[in-house]
Amino acid sequence: MGTVFDPLNTSVYFWQIITFLILLYLLYKYVYPPIQEQIQKRQSQIERAIDEAEKTRSEARELLAEYRRQIEEARGEARRILEESRKQGAAQRERIRTEAQQEGDRIIQRAREEITRERNTALREVRGEVAGMVVEATERVLGREVDRDEHERLISEALDSLEAEVAGGISRDESQRV
Amino acid sequence: MNTVALAQMTQDDLRSEILYTWETARETWAIPLSLGPVDISINKIIWFLWIGAAVTFLIMFVGARILKDRPGAYQVIVEDIYGFGRNHLGGQMAEEGRKWFPYTLTLFVFVLTLNVLGLLPNSYPVTSNLSVTLVLALCTFLLVQQQGIARNGLGGYLKSWLPGGLPDNAFGKFLIAPFLFLIEAMSRLFSQPATLAVRLYANMLAGSLLIYVFLSLILYFGAATALVSVPVTVVFSAFKLFVSILQAYIFAILSQVYIEMAMFGEEH
Repeated sequence: MGTVFDPLNTSVYFWQIITFLILLYLLYKYVYPPIQEQIQKRQSQIERAIDEAEKTRSEARELLAEYRRQIEEARGEARRILEESRKQGAAQRERIRTEAQQEGDRIIQRAREEITRERNTALREVRGEVAGMVVEATERVLGREVDRDEHERLISEALDSLEAEVAGGISRDESQRV
Repeated sequence: MNTVALAQMTQDDLRSEILYTWETARETWAIPLSLGPVDISINKIIWFLWIGAAVTFLIMFVGARILKDRPGAYQVIVEDIYGFGRNHLGGQMAEEGRKWFPYTLTLFVFVLTLNVLGLLPNSYPVTSNLSVTLVLALCTFLLVQQQGIARNGLGGYLKSWLPGGLPDNAFGKFLIAPFLFLIEAMSRLFSQPATLAVRLYANMLAGSLLIYVFLSLILYFGAATALVSVPVTVVFSAFKLFVSILQAYIFAILSQVYIEMAMFGEEH
């Protein structure tokens, strides 16, 4: 059993100690530090990535809130503009209506004045005509010339009183119409 | 003794066939060397020791050279080996003990490589040599004592060998305490390194021997025995692979535990 039970093999002791120490040295110097470094690097990378993702998410959330706020503001603005233009429209309509009314009133007034003036002119002409005709008729009936001025004055008075009666009738009619 | 008629060999022949690997190792591939009166010849044992060390180093070194931010499969394996040492070997009793995990991880990978190399045909299972495992156990032993004394001082370290809760009287102090101290001293100075070495040695030797025994039975009982021997050998080889991993782990974890027990013995 000397070969299987081999507890004092000096060459094994010697080489094993040297080999194992060299192996330990090499692994401690060339293998473990880069692996440790790599693992730490990756860990910090992952941590950084997580931080970044969280930052991005919070930024996105802020942005979303900002957009929502802007949209809300725009909606408010639109409502306000709409309201204002509605108000303006109503005011304009009112103004136009008032102006049209006034214009109409003015036109009616003017027309009425025109009518009055025309009527007066016509009346004056008719009166002249009537006075002339009456004087002429009277001359023919009497067969002689009458004092034209005196006659015309009498006729004018008669016409005046007639006119007064007629005018009273017209103005009564007008007041009923308006 | 009337053995089977086919047998062409004596039992002594059979025995030397089984033990062939161990009996011839010293003379195989030998380069005689000596350091004064001490024989330090290089032979098959030493060659395979070196092959194992070289393979161990290359496995780890290549892994450490090809490190990238996006790891490939090989890098993941090496990093996992490292992470296994860091998280499962180191820190058995206290976080400070984690600083020795590179040592025990080296032990683990080295022993595992030597164990697995021993499965190859015509190799020498280095860990089935008691001198090899004794040297490894001795390294751990020296490190354990050095750490115990360095961290606690010689007095504190020796005091930590005494278990707590002894009766606080003359009986406890002068009879039980020295007795327990003696037992603990024997355990720490002799049993721990011895069991560490013998456990690995015996397991690996038994695994190899079982395989050779079953294969040698073919020589002894004839070719028909192969029908039984070969399947059994396959099963035992698989089992030996499992034992290789298990024993490497046990050797490493016990080394770590012994180191940390010496460091933090007083606190526990």
